[in-house]
Amino acid sequence: MKPLTAFLDGFGSTWLLLVRVVSHSGSLPRQFHRFIDQCYLIGYTTMPIVAILSFFIGSVLALQAGYSMQNFGTQQFIGSLVGLSMARELGPVMVAILVAGRVGSAITAELASMKVYQEIDALETMNISPARILVMPRLAATLVMMPVLTIIGDLVGWFGGAIVADLTEIISIEPEAYFAVLRRYTHFSDVLNGLIKAELFGFAVVLVCCNIGLNTRGGPREIGAAVTRAVVVSLILILVLDYFVTQVLMLVSS
Amino acid sequence: MNHVSQTARVGLFFLLGLALTWVTFQTLNGGKVFRDKGYRLVAGFESLRELKKGDEVRMAGVVIGSVEETRLAGRRAEAVLHIDRTIEIKRDATASIVMAGLIGTNYIGIDLGSAGAPPLPAGAEIRTQITPDLNTIMTDLAALGNKLDHALVTLTGSLAGDGKGSVGIIQKIDLLVTENRASLARTTTNLQQVTDKLNRGEGTLGKLINDPKLYDEMIGTLGEIRRGAGEAKSFIANAQAIIDQVKMGQGALGALVFDQKAGEDFKSTIANFRAVSDKISRGEGTLGKLLQDDGLLRDAQLIMKKAQRALDGLEDSGPITAVGVVARGLF
Repeated sequence: MKPLTAFLDGFGSTWLLLVRVVSHSGSLPRQFHRFIDQCYLIGYTTMPIVAILSFFIGSVLALQAGYSMQNFGTQQFIGSLVGLSMARELGPVMVAILVAGRVGSAITAELASMKVYQEIDALETMNISPARILVMPRLAATLVMMPVLTIIGDLVGWFGGAIVADLTEIISIEPEAYFAVLRRYTHFSDVLNGLIKAELFGFAVVLVCCNIGLNTRGGPREIGAAVTRAVVVSLILILVLDYFVTQVLMLVSS
Repeated sequence: MNHVSQTARVGLFFLLGLALTWVTFQTLNGGKVFRDKGYRLVAGFESLRELKKGDEVRMAGVVIGSVEETRLAGRRAEAVLHIDRTIEIKRDATASIVMAGLIGTNYIGIDLGSAGAPPLPAGAEIRTQITPDLNTIMTDLAALGNKLDHALVTLTGSLAGDGKGSVGIIQKIDLLVTENRASLARTTTNLQQVTDKLNRGEGTLGKLINDPKLYDEMIGTLGEIRRGAGEAKSFIANAQAIIDQVKMGQGALGALVFDQKAGEDFKSTIANFRAVSDKISRGEGTLGKLLQDDGLLRDAQLIMKKAQRALDGLEDSGPITAVGVVARGLF
């Protein structure tokens, strides 16, 4: 009974937090510096690792696809496979997982320690909503930065696939042919699809991580437990959400 | 790090994201967010085979749209084609389902139609044409295989017999050989002997084959025959020339044979001759008398005797008096 209660508790408190954040969204221009700080942390500093990861995701995708496609002699379509996979699925999901691991965990750790050391209580005592000055700038920054990270991830992944497709002996597809096929079968609507997914994942991850951090109870030991829980819940949320969002987007776009 | 540089970095980063999105948007799909609003055409087929939503529509190999919907409409299947707004499809253009690969990729190919034909309006139905797909070809091949199989069975049956009384060709040949084995063996042996003899140069034919001298002689004979034939030819040519001359009335014979006047002269000469000989036989004229009259003969004998005497006297006397003697003896 206890896990179910805990799940419902977390679910409900997340929605309440979202309502509070939305009600405070008008104060964003006055918190511009906080917003820029969070953009810097969430977007700018995450960019290198997104680029590295996406490059190798694209490369290994091309390699594995080439390995299995050579059975049918369809290596020339590798560009469309890598292009569509990166744009529609792997780009947004990998960026969301990176954001959960790098940004979400940091947010939870920061908010949980603030909670444990009663800084949150102090803010509430001064009638300053933590949702307004702690959560809202982070969510806004995430919404702005997720598409940027995702489009970088997509493009770097495509180039990674192109390099591997050119250099691997069993594939040997020229970059021109690779990108010709990619351009032919990948529409901008697919990329847009991925950007929408990344937006939703990032938003959900940061919201959940903020909520878990703000609801930490107990001593300093609980900070670590909260971070672990935040990352695990984020990853599960990303993949579950991925399925349903993909279904909905397919219904909408068709 | 001061706040301004941090803001600048975030701003630049955001602009980078926007720029990359713009580049992607421009590169993919020719700068269209979703598929361009075009117009629709309906293509009815007996079977759409493996055609599915989203497959390409091509005109002369160029992608001009896609299959928007596939549906059943009564007793046929229909594909709704979404065609680019800029493309005009002629009223007499024909659509067919074309196989692009063996793994089930199909597209609708539309030909160009004739240049002067009016374009199809939106929502119209395009003419279609059935092209044989792989399954049809395979079915035809299977039927062909069956026929071939049947033909082979028939052939085998006629060669080997059906095993139920009727005798096959091979069996017939077998029977023929078996029955005539002895005579065949004899014939073969004889042939063997004949060829052996020939080989050893025995008999006329053998000598002819094996003896080089005979050959040389034969060649010589042939040469002579050829020479004789050449001579005969020239002889015949000469004869021909003579006959030609005769025909042309040249020469005595020719004149005689072909000249009217000469012939008549000849005839009259013959008649005269006959008259003369008649007179002679009747003893008329000098010659007749000469021949018929004995007195003439005696006179002549007398003369001959006198001449004999004169000649004898001449032998005794000298040559100066010879003339006188001859004159005396004669007169």
